[in-house]
Amino acid sequence: MERETIARVAKVARLNLTEEEMERYANDLDDILNSFSVLDEAPAGESYSFNPIPVIDVLREDEPAQDIDPQALKAQMGTYEGYVRGPRLS
Amino acid sequence: MKIGLEMHFQLPTRSKLFCSCPTAPAEPNHNVCPVCLGYPGSRPALNRKALEAGLSIARFLDCKIEERVWFSRKTYFYPDLPKNFQITQYESPLGTDGHFDLNGRRIGIWRVHLEEDPGRIKRVGRSGEEIAFVDYNRSGIPLVEIVTAPDLTSPEEARALIDQLVTELRSLCGLEAQDEQTVRVDANLSVGEERVEVKNVQGLRNLEKALRFEANRQSKLLAAGKKVVRETRRFDEERKVTTSAREKETEEDYGYIGEPDLGEFRIGEMARNLELKETPLARAKRLVASFGIGEATAKQLVLTSHSLTDLFEELCLHVPPERAVSWTTGPISGNWAVLQDQAKWPDIVRIVKDDSEGLINDTEAKRRILSLAGVQQEAAVEGGDGLGKLISDFIDEHPEVLADYRKNPKAANTVIGHVMKESKGRYSSREVVEGVRKELEKRV
Amino acid sequence: MSDTYGLIRYAQTKHLAFTEVAEGLEDGKFHFSAKDNLCADGFQARAGSAVLDGYSPPFDATCIGRMKGSGGQLVGKTTMDEFGFGTFSTNSAHGVPLNPFDRERSCGGSSGGAGAAACLIPGHIALGVSTGGSISGPASFCGVVGLTPTYGRVSRYGLIDYGNSLDKVGLLSRSASLVARHFRTMAGPDPKDPTSCAQPALAGKGRMPSSLAVPREALQNLDPSVRSSFQEALGKLKGMGMEVHEVSMGSLRFALPAYYILATSEASTNLARYCGMRFGRREEKFDQHFNDFFTGVRSEGFGDEAKRRILLGTFCRMVGFRSRYYLKSLAVRQLLIEEYRKVFRDHDAVVTPTMPFVSPRFEEIGRMKPLEMYGADVLTVPPNLTGMPHISVPCAYVAGLPVGMQMVADHWKELDLLEAASAWENVFEYRFPEVSL
Ligand SMILES: [Zn+2]
Repeated sequence: MERETIARVAKVARLNLTEEEMERYANDLDDILNSFSVLDEAPAGESYSFNPIPVIDVLREDEPAQDIDPQALKAQMGTYEGYVRGPRLS
Repeated sequence: MKIGLEMHFQLPTRSKLFCSCPTAPAEPNHNVCPVCLGYPGSRPALNRKALEAGLSIARFLDCKIEERVWFSRKTYFYPDLPKNFQITQYESPLGTDGHFDLNGRRIGIWRVHLEEDPGRIKRVGRSGEEIAFVDYNRSGIPLVEIVTAPDLTSPEEARALIDQLVTELRSLCGLEAQDEQTVRVDANLSVGEERVEVKNVQGLRNLEKALRFEANRQSKLLAAGKKVVRETRRFDEERKVTTSAREKETEEDYGYIGEPDLGEFRIGEMARNLELKETPLARAKRLVASFGIGEATAKQLVLTSHSLTDLFEELCLHVPPERAVSWTTGPISGNWAVLQDQAKWPDIVRIVKDDSEGLINDTEAKRRILSLAGVQQEAAVEGGDGLGKLISDFIDEHPEVLADYRKNPKAANTVIGHVMKESKGRYSSREVVEGVRKELEKRV
Repeated sequence: MSDTYGLIRYAQTKHLAFTEVAEGLEDGKFHFSAKDNLCADGFQARAGSAVLDGYSPPFDATCIGRMKGSGGQLVGKTTMDEFGFGTFSTNSAHGVPLNPFDRERSCGGSSGGAGAAACLIPGHIALGVSTGGSISGPASFCGVVGLTPTYGRVSRYGLIDYGNSLDKVGLLSRSASLVARHFRTMAGPDPKDPTSCAQPALAGKGRMPSSLAVPREALQNLDPSVRSSFQEALGKLKGMGMEVHEVSMGSLRFALPAYYILATSEASTNLARYCGMRFGRREEKFDQHFNDFFTGVRSEGFGDEAKRRILLGTFCRMVGFRSRYYLKSLAVRQLLIEEYRKVFRDHDAVVTPTMPFVSPRFEEIGRMKPLEMYGADVLTVPPNLTGMPHISVPCAYVAGLPVGMQMVADHWKELDLLEAASAWENVFEYRFPEVSL
């Protein structure tokens, strides 16, 4: 795997990799993807679905309800005047 | 000039798209739960009402609707996005290849899909170094995204499209009135060959300004023999200019995958079974065709009230359409607050019919209608002054309306709306419209 | 009662089976534990990851709520590979569980702590979670019964996601009857997990399988001791009156890659939320640009295998690679489901060893390359990928270490597997390590 590719993947995934890690993961992914090339021999399926069982038309009615106190959730987060604090935007 | 729009409207539900948190306004981070905060262990469940509203819109826009759809995860990192992925629709929108008739011109609709809104960020701190304060009340609010073909030819037309679309969707599925201000739009615009995307414009006014600026900018570049660069720009609301968005925003790889937590939806059947309400503009068009009345009159009727239009259609069964028009837009709409009671309709029909057949004269007919409404004629006459005062008082208190009216005559609607509401139906809509126009013209 | 609590503490201190345990046992309740990726009010839920340190969900996973509702006490959270990423429970930020039969060896993974707890504590029921074999594997290495139900049978509400189209909550215990009882407690639709709402009702009683299929392809690359143990076990099954037929399932070779691609693609999106802002490990350096802020927290918080799987999964769904890897794997899953269905037309269950070898020593594991580790899941991945229910039971002991046998049935037929596992207990006696407190 090209250094450029692994660097790009790490950037998209928001991971900082050292030079050593970059090389190690590139090698591992190479090994793994090479062995996965057996998939190319599998017949191209006509249909696919995102679950192994059919899950169809499961809907929730439009009724507002909150069974957990939002204060308990806020307590988990760092808030200021009710707002969740976050990092710089630019 | 070619303009295409990606519009996002909030769907009128009481609970969010994937959790049951309320959509009503609240203190920051009050309408939240593990699902819309993306807490580990939570998972989404789709709101039936949102799906149905989205499907009615797709059908109303005459879209092609597939038999099955699913949702997708669009992964990108931003502080307002609790899961750092947004659940949206990618390969399988609710509808594709539809259209909307804008003043007789067919505007293509490429797709209609559902997605969740991220949270809302309050920027705090010095310009250029702002940090994010996030309110996740909006996280998971159901949005419908409607994407048009680049069939629009001017900023005014883009604005008109949204204006009319909002009117229609409001009555189709109860879209809220505020949506002209809250509609979020990504627009692409090209004067020459290359197109530029203007992202994340909030509200109709900003949109028109952003598009004007961008059209102007591109025209100047081309006139000077320069090239327009294909890029993403953002609209700066303060300075009223578009600026080039930084590169990183365009290079994100969303890595779409299917959302396995929701399963699939067989929307074909669901869409066919939906009963669509007739929307105002579609109804106006039908009135023009069926009864031969003028387009302006037809619009005035349907925009006043659906039930008034019902009465109009009822009257048309008994009297010539022009008589039905003059009665419904005249004394009947003037006292609509009382006369909308359907128990009174048979009497109204008889009075108008008797008048039309010459059994009674106009004055007597009007007296009977008014007495049906419980109004003494003297009071109604005296009301004339009251109307003028109502109008001029409002304009005195809201000078900005006059300024707006100079640019766009539609600003008159603000005054008309206010007066109709205040007078509680004492005056006919025709009287109010004429009164307001006269007063505004006088002052301009 | 006090003995049981003593055993729980023993499993915690000597075998690192638990990350947290309750302060004591409550009278009149049965005891159960939950893998640390299941949320429970009053406990942290860290899923083996440092990035979740401090996360105390104020709600119970549906499965835990149902166990409590039927008279159970949650006595502890069990150790696991970070987010379920592993076969040996060695990728854990909160202690590596040690095998009850030999502390130098692995409990299997990723529900390793659950396997150890189920083995060491009589009458204990351990809730595990399997994505690619994380219940069968530990059941095999720890010599207990491990049931992985059909995908969607037990609600995933309250489960910290690894791969949403693969994750299944199941149970580990010393006996099939205990597993059967509590499986009934946890199964059933839950509106908070739409994928649990597609299941048919649970039948009153299972049907004893009478015809078993052994796929030829699954018997390659087995450790010789496992192979001969399995052959012997097949003999016992025939002795019970079952027919055993060799079959061919040519698509099995596609299962491992398809599984790893789907699992990591989904995982890499599930793990995007861990960025230091809202839960678990939080960062206060708000003067950083959000990209640097997120990247910093993630790079420090995730372990080595989590990073590897995030990278792999992110790659497999990127523009240019998505259709070759991600979309192809979805199609392959469908293909495998059809292949299983074909076998189930003539047979009631597919039977194989659970793991290709007995529990390895930690030093051997340390020498394995990632691809070799992934290969250890070759027998557990096919039913997991296709959402088929499966059960692992001990079927032999080699040099004092248990060997597991795995039976797979068609979707929704867990009760048939439980019938077979109960009957198996009449012909094969399980052994458990002696513990002196
Ligand atoms: Zn919510």
